[in-house]
Amino acid sequence: MRRKKIINKTIYHVLVTLFGLIMIYPLVWMFMSSFKDTNTIFTTATQLIPETFKFENYANGWKGFGGISFGTFFGNSLFISILATIGTVFSSAIVGYGLQRCKFKGSRILFVAMLLSMMLPAQVLMIPQYLWYQQLGWVGTYLPLIVPYCFAIQGFFVYLVMNFIGGIPKELDESAKIDGCTYYGIFARIIFPLLKPVLVTSFIFSFMWRWDDFLSALLYINDSARYPVSLALKLFADPGSTSDYGAMFAMASLSLLPIIVIFIFMQRYIVEGISTSGLKG
Amino acid sequence: MKKKVLAALLAGAMVVSLAACGNSGGGSKDGDSGSDSSSSMVVSWWGNQTRNDRTTEVINMYLEDHPGLSIDGQFSEWDDYWNKLATSSAGNALPDVMQMDYMYLDQYVDNGLLLDLTPYIEDGTLDMSNVPENIQESQKVDGKTYAISLGTNANAMFYNKTALDEAGITVKDNMTLDEFVDLCKEVKEKTGLRTNLGYSVESLPEFWCRADDIVLYGDGKLGVDSPDQLQTIFDLEKQGIEEGWHLDPSVFTEITLKSTEQDPLVYGTDPDRMSWCAFSTSNQLTAVQNAAPEGMEIGITTWPSPDPAKSNYLKPSQLFSVSANCEDPDAAVEFINWFINDEACNKVLLGERGVPISTAISDAIASELSETDQAVVAYINDVVTPNSSPINPPAPAGANEFYDILTNLEEQVLYGQLEPADAAQQLFDQGNAALASAQ
Amino acid sequence: MKKKSLTLAQRLNRESTAGVVCSLPFIIGFLFFMIVPMGISLYYSFCDYNILSPPEFVGLKNYIQMFTADDRFWKSIGVTFYFALVSVPLRLIFALIVAMILVKGSKASPFYRAVYYLPSIIGGSVAVSILWKRMFATDGVINQILGMFGLPDNTSWLGQTSTAIWTLIILAVWQFGSSMLIFLSALKQIPAELYEAANVDGANGIQKFFRITLPLLTPTIFFNLVMQMINGFLAFTQCYIITQGKPMDSTLFFTVYTYQQSFEFYKTGYAAGMAWVMLLIVGLVTLVLFATKRFWVYDEGN
Repeated sequence: MRRKKIINKTIYHVLVTLFGLIMIYPLVWMFMSSFKDTNTIFTTATQLIPETFKFENYANGWKGFGGISFGTFFGNSLFISILATIGTVFSSAIVGYGLQRCKFKGSRILFVAMLLSMMLPAQVLMIPQYLWYQQLGWVGTYLPLIVPYCFAIQGFFVYLVMNFIGGIPKELDESAKIDGCTYYGIFARIIFPLLKPVLVTSFIFSFMWRWDDFLSALLYINDSARYPVSLALKLFADPGSTSDYGAMFAMASLSLLPIIVIFIFMQRYIVEGISTSGLKG
Repeated sequence: MKKKVLAALLAGAMVVSLAACGNSGGGSKDGDSGSDSSSSMVVSWWGNQTRNDRTTEVINMYLEDHPGLSIDGQFSEWDDYWNKLATSSAGNALPDVMQMDYMYLDQYVDNGLLLDLTPYIEDGTLDMSNVPENIQESQKVDGKTYAISLGTNANAMFYNKTALDEAGITVKDNMTLDEFVDLCKEVKEKTGLRTNLGYSVESLPEFWCRADDIVLYGDGKLGVDSPDQLQTIFDLEKQGIEEGWHLDPSVFTEITLKSTEQDPLVYGTDPDRMSWCAFSTSNQLTAVQNAAPEGMEIGITTWPSPDPAKSNYLKPSQLFSVSANCEDPDAAVEFINWFINDEACNKVLLGERGVPISTAISDAIASELSETDQAVVAYINDVVTPNSSPINPPAPAGANEFYDILTNLEEQVLYGQLEPADAAQQLFDQGNAALASAQ
Repeated sequence: MKKKSLTLAQRLNRESTAGVVCSLPFIIGFLFFMIVPMGISLYYSFCDYNILSPPEFVGLKNYIQMFTADDRFWKSIGVTFYFALVSVPLRLIFALIVAMILVKGSKASPFYRAVYYLPSIIGGSVAVSILWKRMFATDGVINQILGMFGLPDNTSWLGQTSTAIWTLIILAVWQFGSSMLIFLSALKQIPAELYEAANVDGANGIQKFFRITLPLLTPTIFFNLVMQMINGFLAFTQCYIITQGKPMDSTLFFTVYTYQQSFEFYKTGYAAGMAWVMLLIVGLVTLVLFATKRFWVYDEGN
């Protein structure tokens, strides 16, 4: 019996690992390519491990463009992504609570508006959004990259929170209400702490999406020294001249680090779950 | 509550209509690009790390001589660059000085977005005294100059010189189409390499039309009278597929088109899926040579044409334009003048955008150019210049759609789903419609 | 009625007021940041607009053209439906299976979760675009593996109209990480007591899955389905970075065609019209999904 368990466990780990390897092969490929000579990346694309490991791509890439190093770009990205993400997480939490737990006229309309606003492709909204932010005098600043996100404009996160709150027994609210808690008190003291897994999930997604977003930075940031990493990465490849894929892969590998670090530190909160925290309903 | 929501929505709708009105009215206020009241200027361009570094360096040099001036250098990747430029033009917030491409020039001029630089040339602020007449002509639109070329360029066919040398094949300049086709067959036979007959190369039909004295783009329609004048490319592609010397079209789906590093000339493992030549432009030689595997030498020659002297032309590779909304056009023009005429500046730039248009400058930097760059200069001066005709006017709005139609039709011919005559007919009909609707 | 007798605090604590107050960020955000751009784009859809010069009102011209004279419009709608309807269910099934496997606590679980989530973070980067084409190339890894098993190894996966779309579907499925994370957190939200009770009743693993896990997951499955459907119909990157619609428009996503119209052909009014047609389509699909909700989604309230 015990032996069978060990065999099962081994099979489980071997399978999960093998399949995992296939999953991350492209990532490993990019990482390995960042150590190859730029002009051999394409000719040796089928070969994973470089013949010799070279770090020049990292030096070359880090030096950036026109005297602006990648350190600057990373700083810009961190600033934008963290502020926009915090804004998203908190605003989505409260709006999600309002829409899920409080019955009011118009909540359905709001929900529909939220879904509809997700259904127009970003590429079509580019110009109208630009014109609007220009009217507001926001072009050339980080405001369009941060402020809207503090107003829960990404329906995905609101709906995610709503869905999660839907899984929390309503009896909790009721008993708190009987104890004299206001709707706001219920949110602050009862619901919000329970939202930890979904907030962490939102944080990870939002951070990643903000980090990867280059479209709004392209439109609204005029000064190259204020570019985020996502936009700077594209500068390595120009169809009309020599592209430095080595440097691009080096910096692209580096640019994954913050997301990976955040994921590794935060993932345990996602799965820690509330099943152990005594929700008897 | 319902009423309040409704009111809010109505208020929103009003804002929309107001915004829409303000917009359709055109001249909304000058875009706020975060500029200060003190003298400042935005200069934008596309390019790679080398260009970004060198251009930033010369801008800093310029600023040292111009205290009180500040310049925001904006650089982007090609596609991003044009998206951003178009979007900022919608908001009347174009950069003061912007890098232009010949392909887009006409559209920007047509919509009144660029400043006419002719007066500045006439009064000598823009010094053109060292620029040959034919190059000055090549940058004009309807007799006026809206953009200054930063380098001269020409269509060029690159080829795998190493492989051809080994097979004892020599390539001569100014080939006719028949000679070219014979060469393709010979190369296939002796080396196994196939031919990429300029699939998706925009200016190829235009290039061949020139041999028949046809200007491809007319006013809101194509300059050709009948579809068969567009049929050459499709005929050759069909022949190439049937005779087995053209690349299989699936090759083009496995690469990123227009990426130098993934051109079938240099990218691939199987000769049967690689091309011995690539239709390109002369200033790409360095990039192609860099992308080539070790030991592959790249040769440069003219595109084949029924009449090379008529087809060949010199073209401005990249240009600088000034926005029509520019607050201080004098300062912008002064900068451009310095950019094209200053020796110290060009010793940093080193003809990275093409051969400098001022002969004084191109002579001054000649000795400092790399071997590859010198080959490009020789190609332009010795091969193309003596055997060329003036460039066509820049392509009008709608040309981009024409290119897209062309590429789609080429694909169908290569896949054997369309006869050349039908493809030419469709290109004629749809191309005319595209140009008309973009008017 | 009883207006006078309520203090401000009491009034604020009415359920309907509290709902509005809590939703206020979104109400402001929507009115201020969303409705104006959406309104402008709707207006553009009735205009001839080439970005470089001001829009000109032309009524229904754009809509008439796309419905009567644009084959690629219909073609791209077909491709998009195929892509969304195939890739979304596959991605969700995959995400759910992997989440079920990884939810078990083992020392290596955090590591595995990271590994399975990582592909999603490189999204639409250049590396993916190069590698994906390399893998499915005629002389690429996939064919080499097939060759090892003695199968035909010279298929051009990207070069055939029948297979090219599948390379994009596989890419979409491969990036299942975000759905997986959401499933993971939902799985952990299921009270352990339910499983304990089921154990007491002697239920086996499969019974537990169908009687407890699946029903309690249905709200999350529904959420993922709706979100991924919207994303699937609006998918852009996969096509844009890898196939650009080739070969012969067999992989032309609707959004990529829209983008082409807007930023390559400068027919921005037409593109805006296309986008609003897509909004209607996605809206209808979502509506259908919501209509089916009461038949299969477990509701706490009942």
